[in-house]
Amino acid sequence: MKKLKDGHLLEEQIIRAVVDEKELSEEGQNHLVECRQCLRRVEQFKARMQEFGARAELFVPPLTKTMRLPQAEPLKTKYGSRWIPFAGAVAMAGIVLFFYFLGMDAMSPQMATVQSTEKLLEDEYLMREISDMVENPLPDDLYEITGDAAGFDDEFLQFVVPDFQEDFQS
Amino acid sequence: MKTEESQNMSLKIAGLAEKAREGNRGSFQDLMIMFQKDIYRLVYYRTFSQMDAEDITQEVFVQAYRKIKTLHDPQRFRAWLYTIAVNRCNDFLRKKKYLFMLQSRSASEQEVEETGEMSRNFTDVIAKKKFWEQVRLLLDKLSARERQVFTLRFMDHRDINEIAAILGKNESTIKTHLYRALNKVREEAVFFQEYRESIS
Repeated sequence: MKKLKDGHLLEEQIIRAVVDEKELSEEGQNHLVECRQCLRRVEQFKARMQEFGARAELFVPPLTKTMRLPQAEPLKTKYGSRWIPFAGAVAMAGIVLFFYFLGMDAMSPQMATVQSTEKLLEDEYLMREISDMVENPLPDDLYEITGDAAGFDDEFLQFVVPDFQEDFQS
Repeated sequence: MKTEESQNMSLKIAGLAEKAREGNRGSFQDLMIMFQKDIYRLVYYRTFSQMDAEDITQEVFVQAYRKIKTLHDPQRFRAWLYTIAVNRCNDFLRKKKYLFMLQSRSASEQEVEETGEMSRNFTDVIAKKKFWEQVRLLLDKLSARERQVFTLRFMDHRDINEIAAILGKNESTIKTHLYRALNKVREEAVFFQEYRESIS
């Protein structure tokens, strides 16, 4: 063990003792028990450090802020949040089906073509009906009255009622 | 007697930590009340700013509350909490260093303002200002690790084994850092003037 000339602990050994007395050799520990002077130096150093710590504690400004914990999390259900993706998938499927059966058909271009073809056919049928009506404005049972059914033609009518111009020339 | 009290306190802390780990909010609140001043002081010794110390203390408890289930041994709650606080301080100081935070206001100016709010006694304010200036000078002489160990031992009053647990180092490493720190402190600090005079 290193000692001073007068047989006392060195300064570095005093500091080692302040850190932990067991850090000293057995001889050093024994000396510390026996030597009041060395023990006093160790105690003084420790006391000075304690005083320093106490002063630091005293000089810290007071804590003014109230510490708060975060809000408690809401209670979780039996299945936790695992149902959320499934619910999302089901909702999405429902939306898709809804539009498919109700809304999507009206918006489909293919369906629109079929619809316009139907309309064209309907229009054509209507036009044909109009043409028929122009050509034959009266029903068949009225033709007997008009004479069309008896087979009168233009030549016959010319014979019965000649044109006014022909009569004048002759 | 004191040891018995200390043991009872340790048991109480462990019991509360166990309940808090099981999700008991009230137990954690009790722990927070028990430790908030200690943590606040710990942070203040590293930041020298009341406002920052209060904010960081709040963050420490929020983080601890969220991570309480990761605490394996309730008997080590104190060391675990101190570890969170020390790490938070390190993060803060790192950010402050690189982002040049609080550049316009020096810590000493802030200190005067804070102590001024606390006390109207001018002498008291000066004494405090002087003290913290000395502490800063003293801690500046130490390496980062020495500073950590010295502060935990003599300002936060933690034992060697606790410091080892907080910093995740073995006890002999802690003692080595502490020995080096004390050597530097003895040479530099005004606090030890009387001591030096007494041995010379």
